[in-house]
Amino acid sequence: MKVRLTGFLTLLMLFLVHLSFAQGKIVTGTVTDDSQLPLPGVNVIIQGASRGAVTDFDGKYSLEVAEGQVLRFTSMGFEDQLITVGASNVINVSLRESATALDEVFVVAYGTATKESYTGSAAVVKNSDIQDVPTASFQDALVGKAPGVNVTKGSGQAGSTTSIQIRGIGSMNASTQPLYVIDGVPVSSGNTGQLSGSILVTNNIMNTLNPNDIESITILKDAAASALYGSRAANGVVMITTKRGKKGEPRITIKSSTGFSPSWATDNYEPASTQENVNYLYRVFHDYNTSNGRDEATANADALRRLNVKFNKHGYYFETNGIGVSENLMIKGMTDGLVNREGKYYDWEDAYFRTAVNQTQDISVSGATEKTNYYSSISYSKDEGRVKINENERISGRINLEQKIGKYIEFSAKVNVAQTELSGFNDSRNLSSNYYEQTRNLLWGLYWPTDYKTGEPWTARYGSLAQNNVYYDKEWENSSRTLRVSAIEGLKVNILPELNVQTLFSYDNIETKDHLYYSRLHYNGQGLGTVDEMSTTTRSLVSSTTLNYAKDFGAHRLDFLAGFEAEKNQTDYIRASGKDLPSSNLHTVATAGDTDASAYYWGNNMMSILSRLEYSFDNKYYVSGSFRRDGSSKLGPDARWGNFWSVGGSWNMSKEAFLEDVDAISNLSLRASYGVNGTLPPSNFGWRSLTGYTAKYMETAGGVLSNVADESLSWETNYSTDVALEFGLFKNRLYGTIEYFSRDSKDLLQSVPISRITGFSSTLKNIGSIRNKGLELSLGGDIIRSNDITWSASVNASFVDSKVLELSEGADIIWVNDGDATAQYIYREGESTLAFYGYEYAGVDPENGKSRYYVNDENDPQAGSFLLNGRGATYNYRDANYTIIGDGIPDVFGGINTQVKYKSFSLGLDFIYKIGGKLYDGAERDVADDGYYWERIRSQYAYDNMWTEQNPSGYLPKVRGTDLTDAIQKSGRHIYDASFLRLKNIRLNYDLPSTLINQIGFENVRLYVVGTNLLTFSKYKNADPEVNQFAARGWQTPFMKNYTFGIELTL
Amino acid sequence: MNKIKSVIIIILILGFSSCDDDFLDVTPSNSGDASTSIQTLADANVMLTGIMSRMTSSSYYGRNFIIYADAKGGDLTTFSMGRGLDGLYSFNHSPTSGSYSGFWNSIYYSILQANNLIVNIEKLEAEGAEANFDDIKGQALTARALMYFDLVRIYGKPYSYDKESYGVPNVLEPLDALAQPLRATVADNYNQIITDLKDAQPLLSKSKNNGYLNYYANLALQARVYLNMEQYPDALNAAQEIIDSEVYSLYSNSEWVDSWTGQFGSESIFELAVLPSEADLGNSSLSVYLRRAGHQSSSAIGQFIASDYYLNRLGEDPDDVRFGVLSYDEVSPTHLGASYKYSGDTSLSGDGKSTATAVNIKVIRLSEIYLIAAEAAFHTDKELAADYLNEIRKRAPNLAPATAGTISIDMILDEKSKELFTEGQRFFDMLRLDKDITFNDDLGGVPISTRDKTIDRSFYKTILPISQEEINANPEIGSQQNPGY
Repeated sequence: MKVRLTGFLTLLMLFLVHLSFAQGKIVTGTVTDDSQLPLPGVNVIIQGASRGAVTDFDGKYSLEVAEGQVLRFTSMGFEDQLITVGASNVINVSLRESATALDEVFVVAYGTATKESYTGSAAVVKNSDIQDVPTASFQDALVGKAPGVNVTKGSGQAGSTTSIQIRGIGSMNASTQPLYVIDGVPVSSGNTGQLSGSILVTNNIMNTLNPNDIESITILKDAAASALYGSRAANGVVMITTKRGKKGEPRITIKSSTGFSPSWATDNYEPASTQENVNYLYRVFHDYNTSNGRDEATANADALRRLNVKFNKHGYYFETNGIGVSENLMIKGMTDGLVNREGKYYDWEDAYFRTAVNQTQDISVSGATEKTNYYSSISYSKDEGRVKINENERISGRINLEQKIGKYIEFSAKVNVAQTELSGFNDSRNLSSNYYEQTRNLLWGLYWPTDYKTGEPWTARYGSLAQNNVYYDKEWENSSRTLRVSAIEGLKVNILPELNVQTLFSYDNIETKDHLYYSRLHYNGQGLGTVDEMSTTTRSLVSSTTLNYAKDFGAHRLDFLAGFEAEKNQTDYIRASGKDLPSSNLHTVATAGDTDASAYYWGNNMMSILSRLEYSFDNKYYVSGSFRRDGSSKLGPDARWGNFWSVGGSWNMSKEAFLEDVDAISNLSLRASYGVNGTLPPSNFGWRSLTGYTAKYMETAGGVLSNVADESLSWETNYSTDVALEFGLFKNRLYGTIEYFSRDSKDLLQSVPISRITGFSSTLKNIGSIRNKGLELSLGGDIIRSNDITWSASVNASFVDSKVLELSEGADIIWVNDGDATAQYIYREGESTLAFYGYEYAGVDPENGKSRYYVNDENDPQAGSFLLNGRGATYNYRDANYTIIGDGIPDVFGGINTQVKYKSFSLGLDFIYKIGGKLYDGAERDVADDGYYWERIRSQYAYDNMWTEQNPSGYLPKVRGTDLTDAIQKSGRHIYDASFLRLKNIRLNYDLPSTLINQIGFENVRLYVVGTNLLTFSKYKNADPEVNQFAARGWQTPFMKNYTFGIELTL
Repeated sequence: MNKIKSVIIIILILGFSSCDDDFLDVTPSNSGDASTSIQTLADANVMLTGIMSRMTSSSYYGRNFIIYADAKGGDLTTFSMGRGLDGLYSFNHSPTSGSYSGFWNSIYYSILQANNLIVNIEKLEAEGAEANFDDIKGQALTARALMYFDLVRIYGKPYSYDKESYGVPNVLEPLDALAQPLRATVADNYNQIITDLKDAQPLLSKSKNNGYLNYYANLALQARVYLNMEQYPDALNAAQEIIDSEVYSLYSNSEWVDSWTGQFGSESIFELAVLPSEADLGNSSLSVYLRRAGHQSSSAIGQFIASDYYLNRLGEDPDDVRFGVLSYDEVSPTHLGASYKYSGDTSLSGDGKSTATAVNIKVIRLSEIYLIAAEAAFHTDKELAADYLNEIRKRAPNLAPATAGTISIDMILDEKSKELFTEGQRFFDMLRLDKDITFNDDLGGVPISTRDKTIDRSFYKTILPISQEEINANPEIGSQQNPGY
């Protein structure tokens, strides 16, 4: 109403003006944003004359001007646009959202801020930056979008969890992940449910949030930004704000997309041909014989015999022309079965993988009036993995409602209901069921899913220990269904214009039901059939009340916040298991002959008080301070309460007299902050020494001491410093930030290894310390700015140096990254927090094809059986010592984003890159071993590059039949340069001409195509170089290439 | 304005209502406080149950300890490397890889449980508790003795070989988290074992207690320990008291094969129960490790099979009843190398539970006591020795009974091998008696570079290394590493 009134007044004024300037004319037009949506409330001012107009609900304006006058269109959050009035009476304008808008409001801890006034370090990612990218969770779309934010994913399996590390690795034992806050309420993140324990499938809770419901994401990086979240904020905070309605008529948006993933993003250990692998295995067997002193003829005969024993049953036999080790074998088909398989090999890749299809359907309705603001949506999406049976589905609905009641009270409700269903697949080094490993290392083309003699399914385990999952996939199933219902009710009372009280009450219920079934025919079915049903329900209640005071006193401004918060989290777990299932049609515990159950609960509570004071003078000088006191049930009574605080300041130099006249500088500001926040222990009861009662024996409860604890266990403390210079040059055509940070994490919870004679392997102590420091750069600019074509680009770079400063008694800690122990690391004082630890590999001796290692004897650098490059070296790894063999932390990583718009077309390219740092290839021990495994297949690269008498320059050792275990050692042999550049997304957009669609009732119709992971450049070629947070590659499902086609209709 | 006031009041109530000290005291629902968990007789019983449960762990009696002595003792061999636990067979041990520290870790964890129970009972007794803790304490002491006996035989040289060399740290109470105990001598360990057994003996009940320890189990253990210490009269006394009590009786030839399909048979002096929902290891159970590759489950990959040496020994009498738990293996349809003692019978009947992989572990049974008696008596009374031996030897009906003239230690040892095959004994007997151990590597053509085909106790790898993991946490013990490693 207000807008209309203003519009009316403007018109009235114009009418009056019209009377005095008879030479003018009426110009009308519509102001829209990038996506052709009308913008209400845009100021249209005639340059040099103190009059103008404001656009109405439909973005329309009308103004009396003279030809040659210049109109300036301004709106908060958009770049100003100047247009000289020409002959036309219609001037339609499209405003660009401003990347650097200093007055743009964004969400921060317990409030909002503008870039100009904010004293902390925060990165804002808007919906438009991540929209259309087909990811199950918004987290994946953040990769490369903000400096200092390292987004990694260990697995390409649909629905799996994502890791975000902000400003380095801040902990060894507690979380290194940020706190997630959705619409002001801290929420749980990471994996949900229990299947990760049984089949190593992770299920990301964040998948319950529809990325299309997100308006913006603020990533709080330094203490000034995050210390208001106190004991959980050391690793930063990711704040998600969901959408609101925009003033105007109700807007209906329908969005639909379908995508395809026909292939992997890169090559992944592509196997050598069946012929080559047969030759390879023959070579191993032949060598086994000659190494044991037998002659070539015997060796040849024995090797053939062994091959025949292994593969006769699959319908093949072998012959050679000669008797040497390098024979090319003739692979013949057995003729005594139903089929003769000669010349035919089974294509397991084709049997196990598919072109994955992903689709999303979204409908949202939103709008706003003076009193009411609403947004509602319903969404369905389905995401297939390339691995058959792997699928992730989501149905979600949301209603966000804000209502003003009377003059003083504002009420809000945000309700989200989402159900995800993940049917996963084993994602780890499990020989029986990891498709990916099987096709690359275990399943010969000589194996078939059927018996060549009978045509019946092959049910025995293959000699390589793989199982025939073409058959067994029908004999098991698993799924993980998560239902999340969350409601946030808010009430705000504006007591005085400068004083309000706000309260939020949130209820979040996440229920994950896991189902795991094996038939009696399945190799995991124990011959009886088993089924497990597990339910894990986490309920979180958060109550938060804040008092906000803000007032201007002339050029002085004061903001004050005080609040109280309480949080209760409880998880209930129920498992019912059945064994001995009578019918293959009934996959339920109810039918089982033998049942078993368990149920218990765990949780934690937290209570906090918080406050913040902000002061600014003349919009030039800003200071702020915050304080929070947290009490957590995760700590013992004496260590329970902690204080966290921060101070920050910023100076807007460009507003100083000495810079005000420098035209080139449109913005220059300096800010700095220091503060303390923390990380709580991961375990709810880590400070208590406990007796557990799970040691059941003869159907009687049995008790055992289950840990040895330290009652004074405390949170980890993080001291962070931040200094940044922000600049905008040439009317903000070039803008950027240079930011230095240093983050000292102390009192780190360390699982201190203790003598096993105590009965335990470790105890938790607050001992270690880590320092992450670095530089974050971001630079953006508009390369071309014209009416028809714009081209903008931005680049960000993060240089992070992450070092271990202090360990318990200075003692090294050797650790592995997961249950698979893909790689081995060491925490050592003064070294990287991601230092690979193993034998230092010195390459293959070109003379004899043997592996060489540097001995690394601390006392005698020349100790060893021979000298290589002046250092002691050996052929036997047992004589060498472990040492640091690489650093998994890159020198620099970041993103390059660019967008070109031409009329209704726009093309965006998002690159991510990583320079420097190593990766550890944990799968190489399998695909390029030295002959240790006697029925595995070898990768093409490993076959081509193995040392033989004919290929003395091969960089992989000579394969032997003597059970060399070199390849399975943790050694530098598996270290590769991890640098890469990847075209993460390419996005092409086309807005249909409004003349066409307006007639059929649409406001806007947008077509788009997104390609993901289409191009990758790297030195490491064996598999995907985009590795997980541990910089290690194992047998996790790789990333896919994806092509998604979408349409968005706005009514 | 009134509306505002009431709203503010509601907000304040909502906001501060949970302001309560108890709010931050959240206790676990599946565990209790360690310091207060033993207060009553019932509590003590629960903790004793916990000890028995720990002993069935896969790295102790549940699997690895049983495999240990058979894989290393020459009675078992493997047809192909890489199937699991083959490092035990190939002696591929070093402190950093293949240290099999699971024995150290899991037995010390079990010792902690026993220590915790004993110390708490003593505390309650000192406080004048009325309940009678005797039997529980006696069982805890006996269990601790058994654990130390097993540990010292894995990590220390045989008592009969070098009892002044390093045994294992002798810990009798729960330790502080940062304690770094050092090794005692083998002799110290044996002294403690005897002390515990003697202390426990009068406290224990003489009645059968299925799945738990009793007076006779204590005696049986004494017999074993004394035999290792070469205190033959003491060993003989203990063995005879068990035999003469007639609480237990030997299986007749017709009962022998079926005895494996039952639980707590007449010979069982100490038998650990393995139940489907408890210690059942399913696809990685002893049953699966020892059965024929592919038998009923494609997960059965045939880890270990009988060596030809064992089969030839047992084959001295083709009618030996003990062939009844053997079946053919992957070598050939006539090579009876697969042991089904942990599957009930050769058709996987189990021992009366819902899964054939949940089969009880017979830790001590009467046959062994007869053989201990025979060996202990051999040094003083060969005729008596022959009598005891023949009670077992008759299970090979076509072999001539031993006489005072024909009996020898080797004959007793061979009988023990035949009787206690895959029961976790062979290697320790061979070391104790300083016998050569020869491995049947040639059966599967497995290349072994980490030991010779024939070894004896002078080979340093006959005892395991202290793992690097232990040395890292307890550096002093590094200087007490077993020689050779």
